[in-house]
Amino acid sequence: MTDEEKKPEEPKAAPAAAKPAAAKPEPPPPPTAGPAGQFLKEHGVVTIPMVDSCGCETAEINPADLAAALRLLRSSSEIALDFLVTVSGVDNIDTYDSVYHLQSFSNKNEFVLKVRIKKTDVPEGKLPNVPSIANLWKTANWHERETYDLVGIRYNGHPYPRRILNTWDWDGYPLRRDYKQPVDALNDKNPHSMR
Amino acid sequence: MAIELKTHSLKTDEMIINMGPQHPATHGVLRLIVNLDGEMVKHVEPVVGHLHRGQEWQGQNRTWFQYQALIDRVDYLSGMFTSWAMARAAEKLDGLVVPERAEWLRIIASEMNRITSHLLWLGTYLIDLGAMFGFPFYPFREREKLFVLLEEIAGQRMMFNYIRIGGVQRDPKPDWFKRAKEFTEDFPDRVDEYEAIVSENPIFLKRTQGVGILPKAVAVDYGVTGPTLRCSGVNYDLRRFKPYSMYDKLEFEVPTFAGDGDTQQRYIARVKEMRESNKIIRQCLDMIQPGDIMAKKQVAGMRIKAGEGFEAVEGPRGVLGCYIISNGSDKPFRFRWRNPSFSNLSVLPELLIGHPIADVMAIFGSIDVIIPDVDR
Repeated sequence: MTDEEKKPEEPKAAPAAAKPAAAKPEPPPPPTAGPAGQFLKEHGVVTIPMVDSCGCETAEINPADLAAALRLLRSSSEIALDFLVTVSGVDNIDTYDSVYHLQSFSNKNEFVLKVRIKKTDVPEGKLPNVPSIANLWKTANWHERETYDLVGIRYNGHPYPRRILNTWDWDGYPLRRDYKQPVDALNDKNPHSMR
Repeated sequence: MAIELKTHSLKTDEMIINMGPQHPATHGVLRLIVNLDGEMVKHVEPVVGHLHRGQEWQGQNRTWFQYQALIDRVDYLSGMFTSWAMARAAEKLDGLVVPERAEWLRIIASEMNRITSHLLWLGTYLIDLGAMFGFPFYPFREREKLFVLLEEIAGQRMMFNYIRIGGVQRDPKPDWFKRAKEFTEDFPDRVDEYEAIVSENPIFLKRTQGVGILPKAVAVDYGVTGPTLRCSGVNYDLRRFKPYSMYDKLEFEVPTFAGDGDTQQRYIARVKEMRESNKIIRQCLDMIQPGDIMAKKQVAGMRIKAGEGFEAVEGPRGVLGCYIISNGSDKPFRFRWRNPSFSNLSVLPELLIGHPIADVMAIFGSIDVIIPDVDR
């Protein structure tokens, strides 16, 4: 019982604390593009540098440019970011983020690329749309399915957009801030049994 | 060798077979939907998620202190590594410097854990291949000795909760180091024993040579890591590639094979890795000095500074990473696991197509997937 009561408070408390650090890069020296960001700039792809995540270069990119940017980063011999470590979805305070962690098998480059979709841009009852990169990296196939399953980001052009960890008829997206646990989590219709 | 059955004279029908989820060789609950043409695999679809426990959800709904205890369950065979990945990410966010003695203890405990994980793989893999003569008792004997040592420092046999944010949980007694040293002196002989039974066994060679070939390009495309990747010709071991903790002060080799890896090479690589881990433990036992073991006060309401970071360690199965977003409160804002088994399993359909059904479990076993690590 107490656990259920506490839950609604947490999302409200979180925004105030997270905003200065993660959401808006406003501290005095504005973040500048690192080697990967410079490389993309030279090839005509616009990225917005963000605050480094623990020493790793981070940038935001338009959803439309994502596939082109990743293809460039992967195929160039100097940057050679050929290891897609993970695709993660984040339900931030006012955005849905799709985060791509890139590394290289041959050099020590690291790069974090983020696609941010404002929650206000997502129509009621619809999912945020991000282009799929499953045809570029086969490993993205499962990672994108997982992000769709848990965070509810739809990847356009995904070859097999189905839930992967939850059952196919699961309601809602468990890692969303507004997610409500189903009452009948174990097919038990008694609303008091799980609480 | 991929067996070519002469089927042209036989009429075969396509059929769909459901392997699992309750299959004894799937190391958990994995369901494979296999399309067969006669005996040959045409198409495979792994269905995962039967063991999904919502680890990420639990991470962001519990305090840092509470979740530390649950982390070992992400991959129950390499609990030290899951704890270590999380601890490293949190320490990086918090700007903590871990005491030197704690780093040595972490390496000793983790490498012991790596050996136990590979030993379990070795024992069960031989069963997957049909060796029903009790071979698993040999590796399990040494595994038990290691668990006795690990239990003494951590308090539990498998769910250690030993590596904590800022250091390790407790300092072993002086006697413990002596017994650990005795184990490391004895262990290479025991590995010789396994190799004497397995390495040149004709049935083992027939079942593994040229089976489940994974070309380099496919492995890179699927984000495969760990021994499976190193057998496919990519020398990528985080301990050497981006040395963390004290690994740059240690001497050890990373078994790598040029060319396309098959099942036998994955066996050789893991056996060699056990020997190297043993070497590492022995060096650490010599180098460890008395000192502090904890840099952060372990209290129920402990907080981590705001920010985000990704940190990874080289687990027994590959790159085990942890992506944390903290907002400065006592709970993580977002907790994301990057599990090696998840990416390694996604390559399975590529490996299986064209092999007879009898090789399905032989190949699946060789990439050493642990289902709780896939499903979280």
